[in-house]
Amino acid sequence: MDFYLGLAQIFGVHTLLGLSAYVVLLTGQVSMAQAGFYAIGAYTAGAMTAMFGLHILPAIVIAGLVSAAIACIVGFPALRVKGLMLVVATLAFGEMVRLFFFNLTWQVERNGDRVGPNGAEGFRSIRYFPENGWEVWHVTVFIWFVVVVVMGALWWMDRTRAGAVLRAVGHDETAAQSIGLNLTAVKVGAMTAGGFIAGLGGGIYAHTVTHIEHGVFGVLLATFAIAYPILGGLGSVFGTLIAVLFIQGFLIEGLRFMGEWRSLLFGALIVLAMNLRPHGLLGEHAPRLKNLFGAGPARPSDPLSTKEAK
Amino acid sequence: MIDLVQNMLDGLAIGSAYGLLALGFTLIFGVMRRLNMAFGSSILVGIFAGAWLHGQWAAGMIPIFAATVAGAVVASAYVERMSFAWIRGDAALASMASSFAIWMQLEELVARAFPQRSYAFPTFEALPMLELGPFFLRPEHAAMFLTAAVLVAALHWLLTRTLFGLRVRTLSDSRDAARVSGVDVGRVAVLTFGLAAAIGGVAGFLIAATDGQISTKLGMWATMKGLIAMVIGGLGSLRGALVGGLVLGVVEAQAQWYLGASGREICTFALLFAALILLPQGLVGRKDTLARAEAVRRI
Repeated sequence: MDFYLGLAQIFGVHTLLGLSAYVVLLTGQVSMAQAGFYAIGAYTAGAMTAMFGLHILPAIVIAGLVSAAIACIVGFPALRVKGLMLVVATLAFGEMVRLFFFNLTWQVERNGDRVGPNGAEGFRSIRYFPENGWEVWHVTVFIWFVVVVVMGALWWMDRTRAGAVLRAVGHDETAAQSIGLNLTAVKVGAMTAGGFIAGLGGGIYAHTVTHIEHGVFGVLLATFAIAYPILGGLGSVFGTLIAVLFIQGFLIEGLRFMGEWRSLLFGALIVLAMNLRPHGLLGEHAPRLKNLFGAGPARPSDPLSTKEAK
Repeated sequence: MIDLVQNMLDGLAIGSAYGLLALGFTLIFGVMRRLNMAFGSSILVGIFAGAWLHGQWAAGMIPIFAATVAGAVVASAYVERMSFAWIRGDAALASMASSFAIWMQLEELVARAFPQRSYAFPTFEALPMLELGPFFLRPEHAAMFLTAAVLVAALHWLLTRTLFGLRVRTLSDSRDAARVSGVDVGRVAVLTFGLAAAIGGVAGFLIAATDGQISTKLGMWATMKGLIAMVIGGLGSLRGALVGGLVLGVVEAQAQWYLGASGREICTFALLFAALILLPQGLVGRKDTLARAEAVRRI
């Protein structure tokens, strides 16, 4: 049973990571920095509980805020570039964060032990959950509570003006600008929100594994983060959730019985999914109940579609 | 001072290999307008094909070189089919996600077939060390530099003097115009993809032969270096790719000497970040900024 609860925890933190990339992707920006924000959140929250003895809740909120602040600072210069250049710029930022933690050694004395990040060895014994008698299912429920809150907030946001503004910028920047939207504010805002969510996710992640090290937060994780919303589609937050379940649950865990063939099938299935549903599993638009019973009104395309170079 | 110049020499040599990686990326990006995350892992397949030949039959340099390039081209053809040809033209992000999946697939395949941590790759030991006054030039570095120069010259000739080159340039300027004027867009794209993979294979061979040992990490490493060099130099410009590679090589060599290994990495990314923010058009390639800017708007 604990195994499945543990899996549910992995799905939870990866959903947060995917949602952080989702918010940024809504404005049409492909950010590979999410793993960096996630790392910042992980180290910050770990430091808060393990080094300063804070409660888990303020710890992850602080982690989210720190990540958000850094995302905001990175957002401004990163706006100068677009498309592929943005991918590479954010990739570079993510790697800089990873290397920073690779070189960071900052330990304090606590209960007779030295705790804190220790360079390449990583940050050991972030043991808030076991120390406070949380059982596995407590942790799982806690994680999914956070996931549901974040998903609910994003789902609600999508139904307000803010959601429309984000999508407008993602769909066509020039048009968005011409109706008076402040592109800088929108993009930096999305980046900041994404940073906050990634920070939350990282903070929780650090506590579920109790030991974090820089290698986890590399390009691979960043690519996973952006792959979730792309695979799931930008229609709604549920796309990201479904993509996480599909990749982590079905492709990585579900196919374990396939042994050596799993890795081959992993690639083939994602390629198949992207071929059949180039705009994501859930497609370009939020599924609405009434559309199930007949053709809905025609809708404009979404940020995932690209205009070929004219 | 001697150190500075010596580092410069080493940096230029390794930088020419980076330049080749960046050239491969630029070619693919030029005709596809999409990001190929699996570029490095196709090179990885080639390098391990070479290493297998070396370990199995102790083959000579030339068959190993051929196997490396062939392996990279075959793997790349697979990437092209799976992530580019079969995905609709307007879904660039879908291509990126599926080339990522193929990257993981190829890397996993190589890791399964070659379970050890690292494998030996033949080096140019037989050749003598070159002395230029107080400076030394390692034979593999000289080989790198020469090969890169020859390849770039050949590529330049191919792109500016042949019909195929004209088609490639038309395609990278405007896909629609190319189609209207009778270019078989799919075929040219496939050939360019293969050409890029071959160039990447050569770069991979040179790098592996310099290091003397290879591991599965080389795939992602090659992708990163190629991307970084391409972006520093300026997107979509062949000259820029080469300049970007050389600059990256020199900066890395100097940083490695003065700041150590982790300093080098941080320096690389700081350089990249600064280059992107301060010079979004790259060091070279300001000429067709407008057309590129439009093309680069979406990956």
